[in-house]
Amino acid sequence: MSEEIFKLEKDNLEGFLLYLSQKYNLFLPRRVDDQLSFGQMKPGGKPSLDHYFNTDLPPKEVFFPQRETLLSYEGGEVKHSTYKAKPIALFGVRPCDTKGIILLDRVFAEGEYEDPYWKARRTNSLLLTLGCNAPLSTCFCHWFNLGPFNKEGTDIFLTDIGDAYLVEPCSKKGEECLRGTSLLGATGDDRKVAEEIRRKAESSLSERVEISSLKGRLLALWEEDLWEDISQKCLSCAACSYLCPTCHCFDIQEEGSQEKGERIRIWDSCMFKLFTQEAAGTNPRPTPKERLRQRIMHKFSYFLDNLGEFGCVGCGRCIRGCPVNLDIREVIKAVKSFIVESR
Amino acid sequence: MRNPYIPIPVKVSRVRVESDDKTLKTFDVSFDSKEERFEFMPGQFCQLSIMGKGEAPFGIASSPTEREFLRFTVNRIGVVTTALHYLEEGDIIGLRGPLGNSYPIERFRGENVVIIGGGFAFTTLRALTVYLCANRDEFKDITIIYGARRPGLLLYRDELAEWEKRGDLNLYLTIDKPVAGWDKRVGFVPTVTKEIAPNPKGAWAVVCGPPVMIKFTLPVLLELGFPPERIYTSLERRMKCGIGKCGRCNIGSKYVCLDGPVFSYAELQRLPEYEG
Repeated sequence: MSEEIFKLEKDNLEGFLLYLSQKYNLFLPRRVDDQLSFGQMKPGGKPSLDHYFNTDLPPKEVFFPQRETLLSYEGGEVKHSTYKAKPIALFGVRPCDTKGIILLDRVFAEGEYEDPYWKARRTNSLLLTLGCNAPLSTCFCHWFNLGPFNKEGTDIFLTDIGDAYLVEPCSKKGEECLRGTSLLGATGDDRKVAEEIRRKAESSLSERVEISSLKGRLLALWEEDLWEDISQKCLSCAACSYLCPTCHCFDIQEEGSQEKGERIRIWDSCMFKLFTQEAAGTNPRPTPKERLRQRIMHKFSYFLDNLGEFGCVGCGRCIRGCPVNLDIREVIKAVKSFIVESR
Repeated sequence: MRNPYIPIPVKVSRVRVESDDKTLKTFDVSFDSKEERFEFMPGQFCQLSIMGKGEAPFGIASSPTEREFLRFTVNRIGVVTTALHYLEEGDIIGLRGPLGNSYPIERFRGENVVIIGGGFAFTTLRALTVYLCANRDEFKDITIIYGARRPGLLLYRDELAEWEKRGDLNLYLTIDKPVAGWDKRVGFVPTVTKEIAPNPKGAWAVVCGPPVMIKFTLPVLLELGFPPERIYTSLERRMKCGIGKCGRCNIGSKYVCLDGPVFSYAELQRLPEYEG
């Protein structure tokens, strides 16, 4: 990619966003009620970037809405369509969430079947990732070899250097997009400032826990009491799944009558008992123990088996959002340190 | 590429009550358009749907050698299956598929095949049997052990009678308890399998049935000398998408809808979540 790095004065941010919104359907962090999430900006509106650590809700909903119509029907006629509007751009995605989108690309678009709804929104979309100057205490992206300035999967990488952003194209799409702007090149001093910010952010991260051996440990501990202990306080509320940038489970439901209605998909979670409840009465995951184990196994074992990567990006939302303070980092540590008693 | 979530409309061409308690019905469906290409192999399944009611997965009970129809046998148990039971000939329903993998028939060629079924799980085993019979000279001995609680719960009874008349199938039917007029075997499928003791040499076993039947039949087969790699079974889990995206039907890292529903016992033994 181009070695060129540009500089965007914050005073000119509005113009830059306007430029983006001419070519793209632009989504950025914006506050609705008390919650920060990715949404479309109203004309003249401002993105909520002050004191912005990360959105409360992950950006997956832009490409994988919480509720989506798969088909509609009326009087025997079935209709369906996928997203056809302008390509989507996300401004201000954090590196962990960019990685989350890349992982979901693999889930939805790789393999025997391609998900046309995800694909339609993702095609030609542009990700503008914003580095994290001040990672939170719940951030643990570095466990997964990511980090607050990880550029994987992004099209344009931004670093906040105070009055301006350093703007770095990281893909062909990103380069082309920036070619249409009149941004000036960053100076050597700007780069030094950015480098210092990156160094400071990375050194502020909590201790990294080694997780390369986690999968083997998990498989070995499948039967252990550990899962009962860990899941004891789990309420099966599924907040973790809804807040997770990589959880992709969904349900398919009917809305309407037999004459007229829609077949929709809505987010679902392996934390819910009904998720695997069969009509005949059996349920392979009847208690929080099996369900929590499933979620942990999926992220740290099955994802590796199927896609060669962990299914967690360390964004920490599930830690911040859990009503009973169930900390996924503590689960990992417990798995690592569990001593199997001989029977 | 076709949108994998959109069902193909199919017409119900035949409805038949399958069991004496009327909880099981068999539906034949056919495609409206003759050009519709529907290539499948025994063991695969489809999602059948009724708008406003929902979708549910069913193993294909017909063989690809029966080109006129696709057959499904439905146990009335939930919302979708109850709606399916109200269908009449001529009704249009939605179908997605074929989904999942199939029995490894290529590996069966030139060898013996032992088919073991229980209750209403005989659907894809019917597909397999019909397929093997249509290509009979390509396979050696075919042994079928099929059991149900009572005679009226055996599926496809007319066909079973025809199969009995064929000289080239070893068919063993069994029911759980003695019933007046029943002159065939009495006993649970695992016990009957033990009595019949099919020879494992150059043989493959395919087992389908309620979980408890599978649980007790697999050890019998191992004892008889069938290696886990030569025992196949078909699994069921709650499903929605049927294409490995919605995340609910996994057993360990395998999705039953995508990597299954057919698994060898050797594969299952390697999966953490499989409780055989």
